[in-house]
Amino acid sequence: METVTLPAIDIARDMGLIAPEITMAVAAMALLMLGVFQSDARSRLVSNLSAVLLVAVAAFVVMTTGEPKLAFGGSFKVDAFASFAKVLVLCGSALAILMSRGFLHHEKLERFEFPVLIVLATLGMMMMISANDLISLYMGIELQSLALYVLASFNRNSARSTEAGLKYFVLGALSSGMLLYGCSLIYGFTGTTNFEVLGTVVTGGEMNIGLIFGVTFLIAGLAFKVSAVPFHMWTPDVYEGSPTPVTAFFAAAPKVAALALFMRVLGDPLLPLIHEWRQIIFFISVASMVLGAFAAIGQNNIKRLMAYSTIGHMGYALVGLAAGTVAGVQSVLVYLAIYLVTNVGVFVCILSMRRKEGMVEEISDLSGLSRTRPMMAFALAIFMFSLAGIPPLAGFFGKFLVFFAAVDAGLWQLAVIGLLASVVSAFYYLRIIKVMYFDEPAPVFERGIGTEMRLILTGSAALVLLFAVFGGPIISMAQHAAVSLMG
Amino acid sequence: MIAIAVLSGFVLAVFAPFVHRLTKPLSGWVLAALPAAIFFYFVQMMPQIAHGETVRAAWDWVPSFGVTLSFYVDGLSLIFALLISGIGAFIVAYAGGYLKGHKDHGRFMGFILAFMGSMLGLVLADNLITLFVFWELTSITSFLLIGFNHDKPRSRRAAIQALVVTGGGGLALLGGLLLLGVAGGSFELSELLASGSIAENPYYLPIFLLVLAGAFTKSAQVPFHFWLPNAMEAPTPVSAYLHSATMVKAGVYLLARMNPILGGTDIWELVLPVFGGITLLTGTLLGLRQTDVKQILAYTTVASLGLLVMLIGIGTDVAITAAVLYLISHALFKGGLFMVAGSIDHSTGTRETVRLSGLGKVMPLTALAGLLAGLSMMGIWPFFGFIAKEVIYEATLHHDPRMWITAVAIIGNSLMLAAAALVGLRPFFGKLLQTPKEPHEGSPSLWLGALTLGVLGVVFGMMSHFSGEYLVAPMASAIGGRDIHTALHLWPEVSLPLALSGVTIFLGFIWFWQIDHLRSLLYAATQRLWGPDHGSDQFLAALVRVSKNLTGLLQTGRLNFYITFTLTMLALTLGIPVIAYGLLPTSIVLPDVALHIYGVFGLTVVGALALLFARSRLQAILSMGVTGFSVALIFLIFGAPDLAFTQFMVETLSVVIIALVLLRLPVDTYDRRDFLPSLRDAGLAISIGVAFTSIMMAIGAEPLDLTLTEYFAANSYLEAHGRNIVNVILVDFRALDTLGEIAVVLVAGLAALALIKVRDGILTSPDANRVTREDEA
Repeated sequence: METVTLPAIDIARDMGLIAPEITMAVAAMALLMLGVFQSDARSRLVSNLSAVLLVAVAAFVVMTTGEPKLAFGGSFKVDAFASFAKVLVLCGSALAILMSRGFLHHEKLERFEFPVLIVLATLGMMMMISANDLISLYMGIELQSLALYVLASFNRNSARSTEAGLKYFVLGALSSGMLLYGCSLIYGFTGTTNFEVLGTVVTGGEMNIGLIFGVTFLIAGLAFKVSAVPFHMWTPDVYEGSPTPVTAFFAAAPKVAALALFMRVLGDPLLPLIHEWRQIIFFISVASMVLGAFAAIGQNNIKRLMAYSTIGHMGYALVGLAAGTVAGVQSVLVYLAIYLVTNVGVFVCILSMRRKEGMVEEISDLSGLSRTRPMMAFALAIFMFSLAGIPPLAGFFGKFLVFFAAVDAGLWQLAVIGLLASVVSAFYYLRIIKVMYFDEPAPVFERGIGTEMRLILTGSAALVLLFAVFGGPIISMAQHAAVSLMG
Repeated sequence: MIAIAVLSGFVLAVFAPFVHRLTKPLSGWVLAALPAAIFFYFVQMMPQIAHGETVRAAWDWVPSFGVTLSFYVDGLSLIFALLISGIGAFIVAYAGGYLKGHKDHGRFMGFILAFMGSMLGLVLADNLITLFVFWELTSITSFLLIGFNHDKPRSRRAAIQALVVTGGGGLALLGGLLLLGVAGGSFELSELLASGSIAENPYYLPIFLLVLAGAFTKSAQVPFHFWLPNAMEAPTPVSAYLHSATMVKAGVYLLARMNPILGGTDIWELVLPVFGGITLLTGTLLGLRQTDVKQILAYTTVASLGLLVMLIGIGTDVAITAAVLYLISHALFKGGLFMVAGSIDHSTGTRETVRLSGLGKVMPLTALAGLLAGLSMMGIWPFFGFIAKEVIYEATLHHDPRMWITAVAIIGNSLMLAAAALVGLRPFFGKLLQTPKEPHEGSPSLWLGALTLGVLGVVFGMMSHFSGEYLVAPMASAIGGRDIHTALHLWPEVSLPLALSGVTIFLGFIWFWQIDHLRSLLYAATQRLWGPDHGSDQFLAALVRVSKNLTGLLQTGRLNFYITFTLTMLALTLGIPVIAYGLLPTSIVLPDVALHIYGVFGLTVVGALALLFARSRLQAILSMGVTGFSVALIFLIFGAPDLAFTQFMVETLSVVIIALVLLRLPVDTYDRRDFLPSLRDAGLAISIGVAFTSIMMAIGAEPLDLTLTEYFAANSYLEAHGRNIVNVILVDFRALDTLGEIAVVLVAGLAALALIKVRDGILTSPDANRVTREDEA
């Protein structure tokens, strides 16, 4: 068996490599202090600072991207793949903070803990993305999850919100248990938790049933985080119950992080076991696409609809993962980037659904939006067409790359099932367009969604609309990232 | 240059509303300049293409995935491009007059131009993905155009229906194109065409079916034909352009394009003629049932598309020539007839055939246009339609000795002839009837296009030598993938096809003469018939129902159901491999140990059973404790005292924590599950347990990796001076970890204490922070 030598711990160098994470951790605590020791009026300041922090760290990550490097005895990896995913996560979180402000202000939920929790969750996601060891993987996941559980029940005076938090926590704990069980089986049968060593052990050794069960449990735990069927049960309830900005956050950054982790684990050290794990990914991907498509049709609540839409889209992304090739990973990264932008846009629209009596979230409330708010209706229509995968919008390219990778890897059945599921899901995305453009107008929404919301909406709509023209760099960056992951 | 020709339509579409506002009364003519320019650009390519050359232009788009923005001009794409731009120019001008004064007139012009760009892109695309992008763009622009009068519920329904059917079929097509690209080794049509048939490829069948799904939905073949007549809710320029002359032919184009790659197989030659033939008959029969001029034309369009699909399916040289002839003549006469129908509607205010008569006197030019187009559709000498019909019969006669295809063609054609007479001739002859509006001749924009197309129908027929060489032969060769040259004759030879033409005309006039009887007969026959139009509504309703049931079943909102579901999934994940790989223990060998140890085993089981039947919380916790402690005992007995003590610690701590929690919970809550749910839960628990145990036993049978054990055995005493390996690991090799763990437990304990000490009232107050801070102060 070939042996790998892991770099020794060199504190100065290693600290340099995780400088973005250290910055996040220190800043999160500083922000917490700022919030605690200043008056409540400072919550706006904390949220501004948090957004600035996230963007600054993203810029820092971009600037320091280089050759793959290992830190802390090989338990932490910095490479182009990690940078790509981290930038997505950081942007998603920053946007989530900006989007939340109007809502929290109107609902009297403005608390400084909100941005701090998002920063902490984001830190966990960055750990997940860079995890190169089962222990750091688990650490990242738990840091993220604990922050998310609290966020789900952030509106603790609302029964729906606390119930959402509780459900999320209980099912999340169950899945963490499975994940840990898987990790310990893997450790028990390979003698290592490190991905570099694990890779060589898996390549060298023969198939071991204990190892395979370990991988199965690991996948089950991760599938919960990306809300893939059959571990999706929490998603609709938590999406509906949580305060809308929290849902907006849930739908974007954590999904990117969890899928990045999925790719890191399965695409690098466990790649030699592809014939084993591909069967599982195949199954959960098909189940997610089909359930996401069929279950969404009957929904009346737009947040719930987006929950099923998320489940479906995670299924599509997993199609690319099932390919297990560089093209597959590349396609998933592009898919995630597009998914993130589109979801942010959709949630800006959902967060703007406010009438005098408060927030509304039924699909019928969007009736005749094209006449009362033509620009918003147009943007939402673009997002819906994109989610349905209709060219030449961004969503089409995501789907195309993913299905291309699958067909190229010989998984044409997966591509065909995926396309048939998109036919079904196109139906409910189009229904929203029909409601907005063709139905009699419902009472108009309140004006004044705020400058930042308008900017985010315009920006994301432009990105989705013009991806066909300007998407090239994103695709080639994703390729670079995929190559750095799989070599 | 080709790219400019394709993309300029989109650019002008964006500015169309402004251009319209600036040049208001003449905006139709101004905007028509672009399609006209494109038309002449393609005209000058004709000699080159007729000599068998092709033109290709490409730009990189997503190179790593084989996507290029590439265009390819050969005989097939050129003729389509000419039809699209040429008819497009007349339609834009026509729309300028037809929609005069409509509030969204400018927007409409933009949609039409965007559609033209999409359609040009579709037929000229060389790259499969480029083709698909334009394919879906035609669906979307068509959706916008059908739903243009969105204050009418029927328009809305038709628009959504068309988009769901054609857009959905398009997604299936994408699957087919992806597979084709991988199977054929290239995403460029030009390369695929050069390398020929892929019938031997293992992916052939899925590719064929998926491409067919795309083509059949787009070209309204049975059973997807229903959306096309409904799409007549669109303003008439749209019907004339999209739903007769161009867009609905995209499916036919695709089949023609794919003929050298996918054609010639048994399944191709079976499925296409059968579905095409059924569509031909269905379309004509349903068409004659109608009284609305546009509806009649729509159904005959469906029928014509069926005829084309049938001919492409036959696939012989003559059949392909026939398809080309019919396709061109159909585009000319059907486009013209729709424009005539629109003009009549515009000037009289009705489209009911029974109320239209004698208009020839008041609308002479429109009448002439209708007459020319109608005669071509009827296949009367010397029109282009006549030549087409002759060649069609020649093709069917050659192909099938048993005549059933020929019979279908004769019936279809004769019914179509009756429909043509009904639409193209009858409104203009006879006595003038009272109509909602005073009939009058429209402006030139309303009749010029129809008249020109009608005249072309005669010209092409008269100059059959020219049209054969420059239009038909290049296109037929491109479809066939081989040189096809059939001499066209305006003067028919006395032969069987001519006789069949005679039969067709004879039958057709009988149908026309007896049209009222025929109509009421067909109406009575189909009135109670369930059709896919109604079926599609039922299907969508059923889909919503299924979805509601599905979510109602799975998403109950109850946490314990979710946990049960997750655990069931876990049991399946564990259990299926256990059974599939035969990991279930085959025999149970009782370990050879002392009797009192069996007592401990028994205690574990008793604890578990008591837990199952526990009715109160306290009882459940105690039962679990019994199991936990007896497991610890087993550890102790089998030589792992340290593990046993850890387990004792954990059990004790759990009991303490639960006791603390119980202080805040009602103790007297009883489990009120019935017997059946209890049994279900027990079954679930037992299956997970059995699966786990089997896996553990199977895993235990494998040799363990002893690297670590050996390492610690060798080094514990030498390096750490301890004889108990576990202790050495905890306090020496991993001392830092242990320190960390202790710290974590400590901090967690402190936090828990803080939480417990917080008063009840504070926990529920929304201003918890402030209150705590005041307390501290």
